Amino acid sequence: MLDHILSILIFFPAIAAVFGFMIQKDSIRAYGISVAAIEFGLSLWLWFAFDGNVSGMQFMENLPLVPSFGINYILGVDGISLFIIVLAAFFTMIGIASLTETPNEKNMIITLLFLQMTMVGVFAALDAIVFYVFWELSLVPMLYIIGAWGGPLRIYASIKFFLYTFAGSLVMLVGMLFMAYFFYQATGVWSFALLDWYRLILPETFQLWLFAAFFIGFAIKVPMFPFHTWLPYAHGQAPTIGSVILAAILLKMGTYAFIRFSLPLFPDASAAFMVPIAVIAIIMIIYTAMVAYAQKDVKQVVAYSSISHMGVIILGTFALNVEGITGSIFLMIAHGVVSGALFLLVGVIYDRRHTKLMSEFGGLAHVMPRYATIFGIMLMASVGMPLTINFVGEFLSLLGFYQQSHILTLLAGTAIIVGAIYMLSAYKKMFFGDVTKEENRNLPDINKRELVALIPLSIITIWLGIYPKPILEPINNSVEAVVQLMHNKAQTELAKERIPNLVKERVLVIKKTVIEEEVH
Amino acid sequence: METLLYIALFAPLVSSMFSALFTTTPKKTFVGVIASLLIFTSFVSSSLLLALIVVNGSAPVHVEMMTWMATGDLYIPFGFIVDEVSVTMMMVVTLVSTIVHIYSIGYMDHDKGFNRFFAWLSAFVFSMMVLVMSDNYAGLFIGWEGVGLCSWGLIGFWFHKESATWAANEAFIMNRIADLGMLIGIFLVYWNTGTLQYEGAFEAFQTLDTATLTWIGIFLFIGAMGKSAQFPLHTWLADAMEGPTPVSALIHAATMVTAGVYLVIRSNELYSLIPNVGLFIASLGAFVALFAASMALVNRDMKRIIAYSTLSQLGYMFAAAGLGAYWVALFHLMAHAFFKALLFLGAGNVMHAMHDELDPFKMGGLKKVMKWTWIMMTIASLALAGIFPFAGFFSKDTILEAAFAEHHFVIYGVLLFTAGLTAFYSFRLVALIFHGEERYKIFGIHPHEAYRFMLVAMSPLLILAMIAGVLQEPFFHMIEEILSAHEYHIHSHTTLWIMLVGTQVFVALAILYAYKKYANAFIKVPDGTSAIENSFAYKLLYNQYYIPYFYEEYLVKPYKEISDMFWNKVDMKIVDASVDGIAGIIYGTGEKTRAMQSGNLSTMLKWMVVGLVVLLSLAVVFGLAARYSDSITVILSGLGVM
Repeated sequence: MLDHILSILIFFPAIAAVFGFMIQKDSIRAYGISVAAIEFGLSLWLWFAFDGNVSGMQFMENLPLVPSFGINYILGVDGISLFIIVLAAFFTMIGIASLTETPNEKNMIITLLFLQMTMVGVFAALDAIVFYVFWELSLVPMLYIIGAWGGPLRIYASIKFFLYTFAGSLVMLVGMLFMAYFFYQATGVWSFALLDWYRLILPETFQLWLFAAFFIGFAIKVPMFPFHTWLPYAHGQAPTIGSVILAAILLKMGTYAFIRFSLPLFPDASAAFMVPIAVIAIIMIIYTAMVAYAQKDVKQVVAYSSISHMGVIILGTFALNVEGITGSIFLMIAHGVVSGALFLLVGVIYDRRHTKLMSEFGGLAHVMPRYATIFGIMLMASVGMPLTINFVGEFLSLLGFYQQSHILTLLAGTAIIVGAIYMLSAYKKMFFGDVTKEENRNLPDINKRELVALIPLSIITIWLGIYPKPILEPINNSVEAVVQLMHNKAQTELAKERIPNLVKERVLVIKKTVIEEEVH
Repeated sequence: METLLYIALFAPLVSSMFSALFTTTPKKTFVGVIASLLIFTSFVSSSLLLALIVVNGSAPVHVEMMTWMATGDLYIPFGFIVDEVSVTMMMVVTLVSTIVHIYSIGYMDHDKGFNRFFAWLSAFVFSMMVLVMSDNYAGLFIGWEGVGLCSWGLIGFWFHKESATWAANEAFIMNRIADLGMLIGIFLVYWNTGTLQYEGAFEAFQTLDTATLTWIGIFLFIGAMGKSAQFPLHTWLADAMEGPTPVSALIHAATMVTAGVYLVIRSNELYSLIPNVGLFIASLGAFVALFAASMALVNRDMKRIIAYSTLSQLGYMFAAAGLGAYWVALFHLMAHAFFKALLFLGAGNVMHAMHDELDPFKMGGLKKVMKWTWIMMTIASLALAGIFPFAGFFSKDTILEAAFAEHHFVIYGVLLFTAGLTAFYSFRLVALIFHGEERYKIFGIHPHEAYRFMLVAMSPLLILAMIAGVLQEPFFHMIEEILSAHEYHIHSHTTLWIMLVGTQVFVALAILYAYKKYANAFIKVPDGTSAIENSFAYKLLYNQYYIPYFYEEYLVKPYKEISDMFWNKVDMKIVDASVDGIAGIIYGTGEKTRAMQSGNLSTMLKWMVVGLVVLLSLAVVFGLAARYSDSITVILSGLGVM
């Protein structure tokens, strides 16, 4: 069973979703929770069986689809993708478990299970075409979630979300086709397998163009400035569960793809584009943090804060060294947990008051102390308090990038200031002061169903902040392999200089000890 | 020994988590008692560690609990070290915390957030312990941010008050600005030395070039400036007085604000390599000492006056540390913690008696009803002013001597003058509160002395404020080696005596002047009409040199405005509008060309003909081009195109 665990992880929710149509309305919730729980259990099993000391791909599956064009169904995980898969399974589970009264609950749960298939598929796929298929498929359930359960502007928001990201991915598809063609030219066989592509060393000019093509697809998904405007609409209109999944998992596809595709395929181009991308990342950090500060709607604050944090992730990715990339992957997990929790928390108050305007609240800490506490924990995680999950990622990302540029890191480091500004002011508006609105006076505090989701998230937030090793170590091992691959493939002086060589240093150290031993 | 270390470190955490269990329940006195006991346990463990180190002369205790972060070449453990420096800090922190915890049981008696208060207060002690005990910069940063968080929670403890939550956010954000500097300093340390452990980093510092070291020193000091509220990041400290008074005593006087000084002392091996940065630190310290003291002269808020005096004393500490007199700085830090905490707790008693009135002009003559508080605050003020034989005399005079012996006469002069100001404003406060007419009667207040146990809890501080001077010699011998300390000797004995006596006389005159001016029957509650209140200097000082106003007008408001502009104008009108614009163009094109696909046979035939013509002409053009490609190439290359 372990041989096919990835396929099982991908298709089990999908098959379960199909069967879900036959389940009665009353029991669909229990059914959904059990399916998601089994899926989560399987993902934990995957983690358990995963060998953290191996840097390469594990649990590989290979099934020819269109052999003549080298399109195969190839799956595999390494430290980079493993935890995002676990996170996706986890969020689907707690998302369904904490689902509040929803019209057409059955459709919602079935959609979520389909969405889960696409999410796991994206992170497990090692064939460009398979990856692309899941990448695009993931749009459909989300389109449906926003379009069917969203707010008043839901049609506009969902269409915008769909078309914008779809347009970007088409450019990426062209890039993939070109890549395969270059591979064909170089080797005489067609292949869309990522691991084959890794072996291909492209001339720098080709790399620049292909990097740009992939970049557009990924950047819109992340979303990077200035392609980010679909996100506030999507979050603003999506129901809570939609925002949670979107922020926690779907956005990570873009940053994950940068590490999976852009860096190892185009090391020279990555090094060449490092500074412009870092500048964009800094704009994302500062500019969207300021926009977040100007918001009146608390959900928009969290939405823009997501973009700001994604800026740090991008920065860490393009640090091109182990510390930075490891940090950025860790921050993906961290941001998934924290922003997911924040959207859930916003959902809590929205269910009670049917508004998200901060001016409608105030003094909530008096009436909902538990809610205020959990919100406070997530707030502090979001601003990067040490011993919370976010700090580890942010610290490592910035630390990594510092090796590349002092000034740019100094600018990006303002993330810790501007982040505190919008988050604390939002918290102050919502929770502090006296209760001014009569409606808020008798709000019930957080209930059990909501705690089911929020307590585990709080525990993870602190646990991984104190002891990140179980996750950091496998990530680190896989990242070292990626960085070494990039260094080996790099041709330009710039890339050689910016991407550290891990092996050489070790050899030197070994030689030194050998010499010392000889002397003794 | 390791067990003691872990008890000292984690007892406050246990205390915090225990108290946190009761945050949503009504006040339970036992929460405060148990929290105090646990902090006391921590104090006992720290004392035992001190005894082991001083008496037995055992080596520093160094433990590594577990790995925190490890990736690439980076390795950060949760490592803790108890050496002479950290054990001094641990003693100060746990002693003052224990007293403040016990005191708070009485002070927060009627507060409905009683349990929550102890959760935050103990969490603060834990963070502070992490800060001082860590054996690496990252661990220090954990404590650094942790105390910032607890300070946020405690300044904004009465969160229904707008001013309190505003001050809490201000403190947090301003500290964050400085923390960025600190973070950059940490990055610099890592990329230049390959480690964040003090031990390895200090060793590597010896081989680094001065420019790099200077940058490291500057960035780390920026971090210290925020936490220790040095100019220009000082405004948060005075506003932090919105928090409950025990918090001000513990956090904003005795411990947290001294974290910056601790950082400089801890990194003494770095700063002794870069004397230029040290001189800058000392100059800034001297400037802040004077600057803060001047603001305290005219203020009419009891707690703010003490806050400014804290700021001023922090300036003294930085002056000493900057001049390389690390042990003097650490000693003053310790002595200051005792008498300043005492002063604040005394102020807390007064506030309780006066129903949270803060204006000393509305008090007067309180010594009759609050005898013990009067004695305590007077002695604390004497210690603060540096009168022999109280604690401040030994610590502060040594700073002056150090400045003199190092031939920094300007710094010496500034610090000496500030000592006079310190004495003046301290006794202005004492005179206004405890002497003169009983002005509070107009306001119908019936003051009463604090609970007996609160006074008893304060008594260790009283004793220490009186006798801490005798600790100077043993302290010097303990710390001698680790801080490469040396005593400062002024060469001629005559000079030394002139200096000592002169300083004492100067300070004593300032005290007498304060009494004469403010302890008489003619003091009235100022109503803004007197000539002095309308003078420029008074207004300048009273408005804190207009710096908070400047920050508000030129930083906070523009930030808000630019944020609004970014959202309304840039994000919505430019970025998003162009996306929608492109989508609109595509949609519009479709809309316009839809007429072609009307299904009308004759229209479609027409378009078919158009298409055919276009295709044929393309075919002809390309065919010709292919046929004559050779000659075209020749022609083009002749033209220089290809």
